[in-house]
Amino acid sequence: MSVLCDDQELLDEFLTEATELLEKIDDDLITLEKFPGDMELLNRIFRSIHTVKGAASFLEFELLVKVTHKTEDVLNRLRKGELAPHPAIMDVILDAVTMVKILINDIKGEELKERPIDGIIVRLMAVLAENVVEGAAEIVTGVLVVATPHTAPEQEPVALDLLVTLPESSGTSISDELAPPAAPAGTTKASGEELTDKATVRVDVKRVDDLMNQVGELVLERNRMMQLTSDYQNEINLDAFGEELAKLSKRMNFVTSELQMQILKMRLIPVGNVFKKFPRIVRNMARDLGKMVELQVFGEDTELDRSVVDLISDPLIHLLRNAMDHGVETPQERAVAGKPPTGSVVLSAHHEGNRIIISIKDDGRGIDCERVAAKALEKGLITPDQLSAMSTREILSLIFLPGFSTKDVASDLSGRGVGMDVVRTNIEKLNGVIEIKNEQGQGSEFILQLPLTLAIIQSLLVEVERETYSIPLSAVLETLRVNAGDFHTIAGRKFLQLRDSVLPIVALAETFHVSQETQHKDFCYVVVVAVAEKKIGLMVSRLLGQQEVAIKSLGNYLANVPGIAGSTIMGDGRVALIVDPSKLTGLCEAAKNGLHQAA
Amino acid sequence: MDAAAAGLHGDIHTEERMQLVNFSLDGEEYGVEVLKVREIIRMTDITRVPNTLHYIEGVINLRGKVIPVISLRKKFALDSAESDNRTRIIVMEMTSELTGFIVDSVVEVIRISAGEIQPPPSVIAGSIDQEYLTGVINREDRLMVMLNVERLFSHEER
Repeated sequence: MSVLCDDQELLDEFLTEATELLEKIDDDLITLEKFPGDMELLNRIFRSIHTVKGAASFLEFELLVKVTHKTEDVLNRLRKGELAPHPAIMDVILDAVTMVKILINDIKGEELKERPIDGIIVRLMAVLAENVVEGAAEIVTGVLVVATPHTAPEQEPVALDLLVTLPESSGTSISDELAPPAAPAGTTKASGEELTDKATVRVDVKRVDDLMNQVGELVLERNRMMQLTSDYQNEINLDAFGEELAKLSKRMNFVTSELQMQILKMRLIPVGNVFKKFPRIVRNMARDLGKMVELQVFGEDTELDRSVVDLISDPLIHLLRNAMDHGVETPQERAVAGKPPTGSVVLSAHHEGNRIIISIKDDGRGIDCERVAAKALEKGLITPDQLSAMSTREILSLIFLPGFSTKDVASDLSGRGVGMDVVRTNIEKLNGVIEIKNEQGQGSEFILQLPLTLAIIQSLLVEVERETYSIPLSAVLETLRVNAGDFHTIAGRKFLQLRDSVLPIVALAETFHVSQETQHKDFCYVVVVAVAEKKIGLMVSRLLGQQEVAIKSLGNYLANVPGIAGSTIMGDGRVALIVDPSKLTGLCEAAKNGLHQAA
Repeated sequence: MDAAAAGLHGDIHTEERMQLVNFSLDGEEYGVEVLKVREIIRMTDITRVPNTLHYIEGVINLRGKVIPVISLRKKFALDSAESDNRTRIIVMEMTSELTGFIVDSVVEVIRISAGEIQPPPSVIAGSIDQEYLTGVINREDRLMVMLNVERLFSHEER
């Protein structure tokens, strides 16, 4: 079967349209489940599938036509009121939509694969064959149905009728989606979640117009500058030159900052693009876990850079899974605790300065610090000595250690001890900060603070002996002037007593092997940085000041230099390296262990 | 310099004819294919990058792009030398990324025919590893070593 049809333009158009339609459809389906009577919604879903089917058959994508055709049939029966949209049917439809996404991704990837569509077709047929009475009977119990094909069908005899007829393969798309966090990249792609086209950006025409205006301003200023230069060369009006130049540079500064903001805005996309797929994940998980959960989403319109959006998707899924699996209790447990049977998970996003705050909050049982500590000891992640020196906050952050899990048995959903490590790694990559608020018995909240963009950052320029380095300001908590005698050395590592805590110190001169000046000064500066949930101090010779810098990659050869995130070009044309605080914490980890042993 | 200018704007080399940028390093002459060379610049401020291979001198700002710079003297384990006003950085395109190479001086661009390249002798100029060499070229009074640019960075070194 040839993949590319003759008319590339037609194919592109089809793919764009189908992608857009399918993105909306997941959300609509979930909403439909909540409001089964919404005919307008149902009709919209029907039309979307119908459109995809029509175009697919015109372009002769056989597999796609088969799946969409059967899905359309089921939707048609729902539309006519012959079937009620209860969870079992919605499951089948959702899986069918997932299959459609996979098939479209295949076409996009220009390689058509044989996909096992028979399973989903059989399931759709089974739904079609179902009679009206049975459907109606099930809607009563449907909400609390726990059974899905691969968990425990025997618990729910009504659903069994439908489900026992299914071939083995029918469960694949579901398990794809709930694949363990160990391999998020591979599975998400395969399951068709990542339909969004990453190569193109849609930009509001108004923004382009604004940009054009700004560029017009810039051209004006350039002309002014050239005029000024020629005046200077011809020695016209020399007296006013200095003043004119100062005015000009002020205006240039203004115009370029504006321009920079405009360009930055073009790269921003609403965080809702990531949030969109969550209702479905929550719904499926709630059913698998036998829990009742309501997901509330706030601030979907909050905009942030696409590079950030790409990186937060996985951590958010993990945090959501955790909230569902570890946080929210079963209806029975909730009844005992005196809470309403339906748990709530609140996902919200908002701006705060030039940062974005994303919070995932549940009203479940919260994190049991004692259990976390006990598990960490049991798994040998910490020693009893270390534990005794830890604050509650430090104990909570143990959950980020690779290999940590409070579950004794790993399930499809969690318990492998990978998830939180992924969360931390990705947030570190973004120079973000994680904060945990926990109230045992009342729930927990994970708060992520992320930078708006990765392309331009505010940075603190520092001097290490004679070399200049730039530290992302987003990570900097405070700076201190410290006398050389104030450092403590324990087991060969430097520490600083900072108010009531002990701060591990990384001497940048040593880490970066900067040739030391012979003359030794009796004081230096310490830049306190936060990395995810930890704090360290970076020892530098001098603070130069704050500057907005554009991040330049060091290229492939130098991509993995320890402690260096990239580079930037300074006003004088020289290159300054940007320090990556997250990579420096590794060095401190060892230092801290040294401290606990010595204590 | 006429020859150089003509060479840089010359035709795409055929099977027989090719052009080499001829540079000197510790008294020896070397050549690299002209098509690999993006530009040749004067020595500039290099920012040291810590914890990298010893022959990576650092990074430079090439008109707003940050590119790594390699010292060929260090790479070939030759004695180090102070840079002077003849020192050049040859910017080459290596697997779609620009990389600068510090050389003592750039001599000229020459035209040769492929037939002139002889396989490298087993023992050659100092300590340069065989794998970096494509061959040697015998030009009247002098011997020129042709470098295989792609191999200057083998995969494990990246």
